[in-house]
Amino acid sequence: MFGYILRRLLIAMGTVWMISMIAFAIIQLPPGDYVTSYIAQLMATGTLVTQEEAENLRIQYGLHQPLYAQYARWVWLMMQGNFGVSMEWQRPVLEVIGDRLLLTALLAFAAVIFTWILAIPIGIYSAVRQYSIGDYIFTFIGFIGLAVPSFLLALVVMYLTFAYFGASIGGLFSTEYLDAPWSLARVWDLCKHLWVPALILGTAGTAQLVRILRANLLDELRKPYVVTARAKGLSELRTILKYPVRVALNPFISTIGYTLPFLVSGSIIVSIVLSLPTVGPLLLKALIAQDMFLAGTIVLLLGLMTVIGTLISDILLVWIDPRIRLEE
Amino acid sequence: MAKYAPVRGVEEPRAVDATDVGERLYVASQWQLMWWRFRKHRLAMAAGAVVALFYLVAIGADFVATTDPSLSDARRSLMPPQRIYLFEGWRFRPHVYAVTGKRDLRTFKRVYTTDPSKKIPVQFFARGFSYTFLGLFPTDRHLLGVGEGYEAAQTLFMLGTDVQGRDLWSRLLFATRISMSIGLVGVALSLFLGILLGGLSGYYGGFVDGLIQRFIEILRSIPTIPLWMGLAAALPRDWSILQIYFAITIIISLVGWTELARVVRGRFLALREEDFIVSARLVGCSQMRIIFVHMVPSFLSHIIAATTLALPAMIISETSLSFLGLGLRPPAVSWGVLLQQAQNVQTVALSPWLMLPAIPVIIAVLAFNFLGDGLRDAADPYGQ
Amino acid sequence: MCKVWLPRKQYGVLVCLTITLVALALGGGVTRQASAQGGGTLMGRLEGPRVISDRERFPSQYQEAPALADLVQQGKLPPVQERIGSDPLVIEPVREIGNYGGIWRRGFSGPADFWNGYRCCGHDRILFWDYTGNIVVPNVAKGWEISEGGRVFTIFLRRGMKWSDGHPFTADDFMFWYEDIYQHDELVPTKAPILAIDDKPGRMEKVDDSTIRFVFSQPYYVFLDMLAGATAVGGHSYQGRSLMGGFAPRHYLQQFHPRYVGQEAVDQLVKAAGYDNWASFMRYINDWSLNPDLPTVTAWQTTSPINTPIWVLERNPYFYMVDSAGNQLPYIDKVVLTLAENLEVLNLRAIAGEYHYQSRHIDISKLPVFLENQRRGNYTVSLDPADSGCDACLFFNQTYDADPEIATWLQNRDFRIALSHGMDREQLNEAFWLGLGTSGSQVLAESSPYNPGPEYRTMHSTYDPQRANQMLDALGLTRKDSQGYRLRTDGKGRLRLEMTTVGGQFLQFTQIAEMIREQWGKIGIQADVNEIERSLAITRVGANELQIHLWQNDGTEHPFTFPAHLFPFSPSGLGGSNIGPLWSRWFRTNGVQGREPTAPMKKLMALWKQGFTVPDAQRIEIGKEIWRVAVEQQWALGTVGLSPAGMGVRIVSNRLGNSPGRQYNSPDGMTPAPSRPETFFFK
Repeated sequence: MFGYILRRLLIAMGTVWMISMIAFAIIQLPPGDYVTSYIAQLMATGTLVTQEEAENLRIQYGLHQPLYAQYARWVWLMMQGNFGVSMEWQRPVLEVIGDRLLLTALLAFAAVIFTWILAIPIGIYSAVRQYSIGDYIFTFIGFIGLAVPSFLLALVVMYLTFAYFGASIGGLFSTEYLDAPWSLARVWDLCKHLWVPALILGTAGTAQLVRILRANLLDELRKPYVVTARAKGLSELRTILKYPVRVALNPFISTIGYTLPFLVSGSIIVSIVLSLPTVGPLLLKALIAQDMFLAGTIVLLLGLMTVIGTLISDILLVWIDPRIRLEE
Repeated sequence: MAKYAPVRGVEEPRAVDATDVGERLYVASQWQLMWWRFRKHRLAMAAGAVVALFYLVAIGADFVATTDPSLSDARRSLMPPQRIYLFEGWRFRPHVYAVTGKRDLRTFKRVYTTDPSKKIPVQFFARGFSYTFLGLFPTDRHLLGVGEGYEAAQTLFMLGTDVQGRDLWSRLLFATRISMSIGLVGVALSLFLGILLGGLSGYYGGFVDGLIQRFIEILRSIPTIPLWMGLAAALPRDWSILQIYFAITIIISLVGWTELARVVRGRFLALREEDFIVSARLVGCSQMRIIFVHMVPSFLSHIIAATTLALPAMIISETSLSFLGLGLRPPAVSWGVLLQQAQNVQTVALSPWLMLPAIPVIIAVLAFNFLGDGLRDAADPYGQ
Repeated sequence: MCKVWLPRKQYGVLVCLTITLVALALGGGVTRQASAQGGGTLMGRLEGPRVISDRERFPSQYQEAPALADLVQQGKLPPVQERIGSDPLVIEPVREIGNYGGIWRRGFSGPADFWNGYRCCGHDRILFWDYTGNIVVPNVAKGWEISEGGRVFTIFLRRGMKWSDGHPFTADDFMFWYEDIYQHDELVPTKAPILAIDDKPGRMEKVDDSTIRFVFSQPYYVFLDMLAGATAVGGHSYQGRSLMGGFAPRHYLQQFHPRYVGQEAVDQLVKAAGYDNWASFMRYINDWSLNPDLPTVTAWQTTSPINTPIWVLERNPYFYMVDSAGNQLPYIDKVVLTLAENLEVLNLRAIAGEYHYQSRHIDISKLPVFLENQRRGNYTVSLDPADSGCDACLFFNQTYDADPEIATWLQNRDFRIALSHGMDREQLNEAFWLGLGTSGSQVLAESSPYNPGPEYRTMHSTYDPQRANQMLDALGLTRKDSQGYRLRTDGKGRLRLEMTTVGGQFLQFTQIAEMIREQWGKIGIQADVNEIERSLAITRVGANELQIHLWQNDGTEHPFTFPAHLFPFSPSGLGGSNIGPLWSRWFRTNGVQGREPTAPMKKLMALWKQGFTVPDAQRIEIGKEIWRVAVEQQWALGTVGLSPAGMGVRIVSNRLGNSPGRQYNSPDGMTPAPSRPETFFFK
């Protein structure tokens, strides 16, 4: 086991290195650079930047160097724990992300909990009671979240809560709690704001879980061991929950590693519409502004989380399903 | 449905007596069995019909449309959906009333008033703008239109109009054409890549598996939106709308195939150790035979499940990309483009009919999902 | 075995849910009783606060905010007389003397939205525009004197004026900026063109502690406007981030300057702060919106910087302005700007009445929603039409060369005029400006001194498709294809023009262009609309790749301080640059690079340069002539302008006092700055 984990760790490090190169390439793909988008911003507000000024800015930000040199510089700085200063935010990258990471994780966590609460009972029910009216209704509910475009749903929900409940619009905090220190009242305020995006995000993921769970469970239910269990007179609930559900949950474990990065990526749209202070909108803005250090670090960070998640999944999978033998 | 039969059999066709059924079951091909099982899933059947209808509409969009989707006129900007009156007195004579609009200088909204004295007949197979049906026959007949002497572009707005006074009904139909077809190419590509690489990975294991798994891992570790943004921004700037359309489809599928590959690989890994595969190997079956005759059928259901999920995902991806300003752009018309233009406060507050394009998106996504569900159940080899 | 349920029921569920969903979606549009007060009152009278310069009318006693009075009592702050000094700027509020206190809430869109703060709270230009936008008045400086035939500008500072930390504000702060920042090549490698005339740089000199002067080798009368406008000497708050501005807090910044503390100490500071180089570090340290420790002379100073979710600015106890009754300004204690990740949220918050004053980012197409919610949100909507003539101009690239046939047509004046006659501007006005704009050419407002005459509004800019067709036929574009589109003369098929737009701006340029495309179709001209991202558009303009480009011409009512959209002044940028990227290179390099412009453009450029060297009356005549050339040549086709589309829809809380009926709306005037937000107060 130890050797296996060590080997996986080494591979993971290689993967991270590859991801860093891809992340860097993605940021460099769009034409122009931070200075062009900076000029664009100034133009929109009526300020002019001459070509000489633009060149000066490029030299200052090190954008005149060849690509490989910029990449090497970036990696070198990161190895020293220096993730650079965000060009747009004028703050150390880690500080900018740090502010939002906690809230992002919280939102993702709430969404996952919501998804599981909704998906697992629906999945089990619709497998056990296949083709029943309940199956159709619950499946429909499970899928509706997937089908409604989340950006439109978010806007409509936001408008309706304003128009009919007079709730404050967007964000995760009311104005008075925005920069307040953490307190019970602030947590409560957060909860009041958090449920809407968690619901919208959570329902979007429900369908996939329901489908896979249902499909796997249907397969398991027809296996001889289930038949035997029933024949022996085991209670129906025990029969289903004891083994088939456990086995049917297997594929989830292989995807658990992706959940957080997937949610961060998937939450970009909802977060933009609802103006949530999460990593999503930050990433989008950084990409549009070509704020290299910030965008690069976020992409790398999400990649890193996925790699770690996958590592954990693989170890879990071996542990849960002994049929998947170790290679050696 | 509380009682559980030990092993669930195929629902026998009802009009046939029991012995006949056994006979038929015995000789039926796998596809026949699948069809019988599929028919049982009523929701899936209905979904199948809906999907078929969507594709029919997509093919005949210009026939079903009433006006040229790009025809604009500010004098009918943001007109609400028109009411169609079916009867005139006791007789069935569908018609709409003429509408005139002006800007209310107090509220700054455009206000439309109907003129009940001016009735405009609505007819089937009426004349309208010219087009080439299926790209073959030039014609000016449309499914719906207004009577002789009137122009649909001036009078008939079944779903209202947008800011520029363009007919939403006609725009929606042309959008259906684009959006319904965008997934097909992408899914085909995903399917090919997913099964090939996932299969190779799962069957051979070892070095091949490691290599492919690392590749998938890297690809999946990159959050999709930056990946889309990077790739979409890197598309050549002088490409036409059509080329961009295909490029975007490919971009979406390049990300989509990894999911399928993972499912396939997982199944392969588990199946490799199953008795029937081991015995097949011991008997000396060729690898190809083991893969395609023994292994693939046993997880066909999973492939179908994943594929049918991939199609609506493509539709959703297209709308998301449009929302981010990275997908298709006007003057191209797709569901995503229409929804993106409805994504503002004044639409929700004042002209909610512009959000109607969400309905076909929802219906199409659900229909594909239920259809896939039915297919998956039907293809289940353990059901026999 | 289960029998299948009646299918109808399942469909029933489906249908039911779908209907509920639709109802939910449509429910938002349930018509509520409109509470609008009527369109006519939306545009008030142009008015604003006045600067009192007659010392006789100066107040003899000063009062201060209660919180500051407490601090004085506790001995933590010097008395108000000492803080203000002996030369205050006395402002007569537009309506009434206000009360102290309150928080002014606004919305902003992120760290790139620094203009939001400059406009509301950062007015420290040396001189400034009055409320009409046409007259220069004192600001940080109390007065000026022009001598030696427009070569020397003497600026008189306020005696006893202080930085926000209480340190004296003197001529040394100007000289520090000029000698240690502006002339330091590492900090400012390229010098500001506006500090030079005829390419000969001017210089700044200290006369005494409260007097400085700018000295030029040639007459440079328009320099006064430069001191008032959005230029490189346009004040410390606005220009600090690019290390320009005209002055800087010497006592604070010298601790980061090698000349005063040595290279080694500075290197350590830079490294500790995580910056790569000293210049980037200085840009941060001298940024009014980012550095809360930076002393300032604005009414409010940043306490929570712009790169956090809320940008907070608080009262500057040493502010030099008082009202006509002797109350130290500003009235409002604190300005809080809340981050909105997208503009729909910002607009919706404004609709809900969460902001006290907001016109930045307010979308004109939401005007009906704003009006509908006026009573509920307890605010009033006012419109401030801009003086610039065109919110969506079509800039025709005169140096385009990728396709010779297209290039010929773009350069053909009759072709451009024909296309102009092919546009139905009233349609555009109705659909995108809610009928609130004025259609016509791109010429500036009649109220501006530079306006050449009312006939220029309609010149070559009426809807006349018949005339357009005749002109196009006369040009030889007579052959058409089966769909009625005109063909190229070189036999390579249909003549296709390309209009390039940028998405996500305050006007829907792409949709406007689509409508124009539709209209041009009726005169047989095929135009394709291509929307691209903003920074890509800049790159492509600079690379001389665009044919026709849509952008606004805001700021052109000040043709000398803000020429960017009037002629190709800048080689890379949106709007006016696309009249001829190669021409602008020629202009900027004095004919060394680029392409030589045609005679009319050369005339315009020469006039513009000439305008800098002559006294006001003559300059105004030259300005009119520039506009005549621009409209006659139609390098840029106007559509709709003089409208409130660009930051001219003003949402003001009913509790906020001293907001004018109508105000001058311009980027050069940093609206609402001419209305002196220091005099806003809560009733």
